[in-house]
Parts: sequence; C-alpha cells; structure tokens
Amino acid sequence: MQPTPDKDFDQLFKNAFEDAEITPSRDLWSNIESEIEPKKKRIIPIYWLSAAAVLLVVATGILVYLQQNVNPKQLTSYVAPKAHKPVVVEQPVKDSAVTRVEPIEKTEAVVPVSAKPVTSLAKTITKKVVKPVEKQKIVTAPEVLKQEIMVVKNNEPKKDIKAQIEEAILQPGKETVIAANPTTIKVDEPVNDNDEQNIKNIRNVGDVVNLIVNKVDKRKDKFIQFRTDDDDSSLSSINIGPFKIGKRKK
Amino acid sequence: MEGCKAGDRKMQELLYRQTASKMLAVCMRYAKDRMEAEDVLQMGYIKVFQKIKEYRGEGSFEGWIRRVMVNTAIESYRKNLRSLNVVEIDEAYEQPSTGFDFSRLGMQDLMKVIQKLADGYRMVFNMYVIEGYSHKEIGETLGISEGASKSQLSRARAILKEEIIKMEGFGYATYTG
Repeated sequence: MQPTPDKDFDQLFKNAFEDAEITPSRDLWSNIESEIEPKKKRIIPIYWLSAAAVLLVVATGILVYLQQNVNPKQLTSYVAPKAHKPVVVEQPVKDSAVTRVEPIEKTEAVVPVSAKPVTSLAKTITKKVVKPVEKQKIVTAPEVLKQEIMVVKNNEPKKDIKAQIEEAILQPGKETVIAANPTTIKVDEPVNDNDEQNIKNIRNVGDVVNLIVNKVDKRKDKFIQFRTDDDDSSLSSINIGPFKIGKRKK
Repeated sequence: MEGCKAGDRKMQELLYRQTASKMLAVCMRYAKDRMEAEDVLQMGYIKVFQKIKEYRGEGSFEGWIRRVMVNTAIESYRKNLRSLNVVEIDEAYEQPSTGFDFSRLGMQDLMKVIQKLADGYRMVFNMYVIEGYSHKEIGETLGISEGASKSQLSRARAILKEEIIKMEGFGYATYTG
C-alpha cells in the first residue's frame, strides 16, 4: 500500500545524484600529489645509492691495487720483481730473504678475496719470518680490517729488512734495482706512512671505509664518511657531487 | 587521459580538477559526512592515478573513475566494519502513508538523509539503487547474504521515506508560519 512505488522512489534518488557535483572544501590535490609523488622521488636515492656503492667498490679496488703494487715493490722489488726470474737476483741475496719473499707474495694476492686463507698463510709465514715480525703476525681474527693491519704491519719491520737487503743488493747489482722500479719507490713510501697513521685509528668498519675513502678522495668533504668516535660507527657525511648530506668534520 | 597514463603531473591535476566535484558527490553518498567523503575521495584519486594504466578504454573514463571511487568507498566501509564495532540501530520504522512532493527535494536534502542512514543500509541502498549492483553482487562484496541485502534495502527505503516526510513537514511548517 505504498503511495510511492519503490521504482519511483529509487528513480528520485538516481536522478538527483546522476549529475550531482559537490566541490571539495579543502584542496585535496596537494595531498593527492604528495601521495603519488614519493614513488618518483624514491627512485633517485636508489640511483645515488647504487652510484655510491659502485664508487665504494671502485675505491676498494683501487686500494687493493695500490697495496698489491706497494707491497711487492717494498718487499721484493729489491730482491726480485715478480716478472723477473728470481734466480737472477737471488744469488746476491741471503737465503732467508728469498724464503720470506715468496709466501708474502701469495698473501697479498689473497688479501682481497677472503680472510681464512690469509690467516693460515700468515701462520706459515710466521714460521719463516724474522722474530719481531712473528709476534705481530699471529693475529687470527678473520676481519678484513685486521688483514689490512697485518699487511701493513708487515711493511714496518720489513723496512728494516729492506734496508739490510738494500745494502746487500745495492752493492752487487745496483742496475737491477733501478731497472726494476726506479720511480715508484718514491711514491710508495708516503702512502705507506699515511697508512700507518690511519691504522692507529682503526677500530671498526667505519674506520676502514674512512681509510679507503681518505686514500681515494682527497677533498675536504669526502664522498662518504663515518663518525667513529663512538662505538657504533654512524654515517656522518656523504658527498657525491651535487648530493651532499651530513655534518662537516670539525 | 594519455597524459595521466604517462604520469604527467599537470594532466593528472587537470583530470582531478575536472572530475573531483562529481566524484565527491559519489563519495558523499557512501560516507557519513563530508570529512569522511573527502578522505575517500583522496584515496580514490590516488588509486586512480596508480591504476590508470589498467584502464582499457572500455566504457567512459569518467565511469571508470566513478567505479574506482565506489570501490574505494566500499573498501573503506569494510575496513571500518572490522575495526569498529558498528551497532546497527534496528528501530522499527512505520511505513509512511503520504506521498512526496518530489520537486521540493533537492539533491542536498537527499544526500542528508542518505548520510543519516546506518552504514550498512547506506551501502546497500547506494550500491543497489544508484550504482545498479544486484543483490547477489552486493552480498558478495559486503560479505552478507543475498536475503540480508534485500531486507536491508527495503529497510533503508523505509527509513529514507520517513526522513523525507519529516523534512517535508518541516518545510511546510516553515512556509506556513
């Protein structure tokens, strides 16, 4: 007994709302825009991050390359530059020097790859190497960090030996030395000093990264830097061209 | 529309400006108040721009946006249903005995009475009467039985009629004195 059939009643609503328009009271567009914006913005940091990652890898590569170049020269160039047949130079050198040289070369090749073989090699080395070196070398912690210390610490005492070897070699065959590496020796030594300074400060991964970056990036604002004063090394600054964050180092 | 598909911000804004008021009217029907409606509108447009590539050109573009809005409104209703304990007021409403003067009722009035409905009634009424869903579809979408959809619809109609009569009475009252 309804005076208005449902159909008509429904039609009333349908008609009323068919072309209904109500203007939003707030400006919602800015909200909508900011909601759909982040997706685009998020892409850029990923580019930067990957760029930073690539740079880091390259930087590490350069460092390793430098160390590979530095160490053999310091330790062995006087004795035998890799390419040369050791036999030629071996003769003027003491036997101990020769035995020392070979395992060290191996370690250096292994250094960037993994920690364990290095430590095992290091142990084998210790047996052959002179005493002062021995104590420092028995570091078994398999961190890259410590490897670096080991490798560089190797250099320290080696210098003394180097001096000895130098004397030994220079007399019989100055020519071979000069032919081997006349120019790079100068370059190596300051780099090495630098290392020793830095190593004193190495306590964590942040320090390692800082060390690497310091080596590669000579700018005041490094392209990545960690604050390592406190125990957890926190990222303190990044500087990749136009993309810069972080506090300046005091 | 092509610009929107390509993610052109200017074109997206243009689309929003051209359709927002119509879509707000849709959202208003599903919401309790303007605030809620505008929230749904905002969510709906975000979905529109995210899903615009899925629009295959079937039917009108405006119709597609409208569907996105309706779906957003339904979704938001279902979310609220889960998070809030909605107590449906099941008062007995008398069937109205008098007819209506349709011409006197504006869209705003109808909007008001629809918004006054309990959430469940409002959903069913909107979906069936305005959007043209079947009771079966409504049941599936809202997770109720087909019969429940039917009974809620007739209940919703009854409530709306009563409210309209009240409004008309008020209207006469103001006109007459």
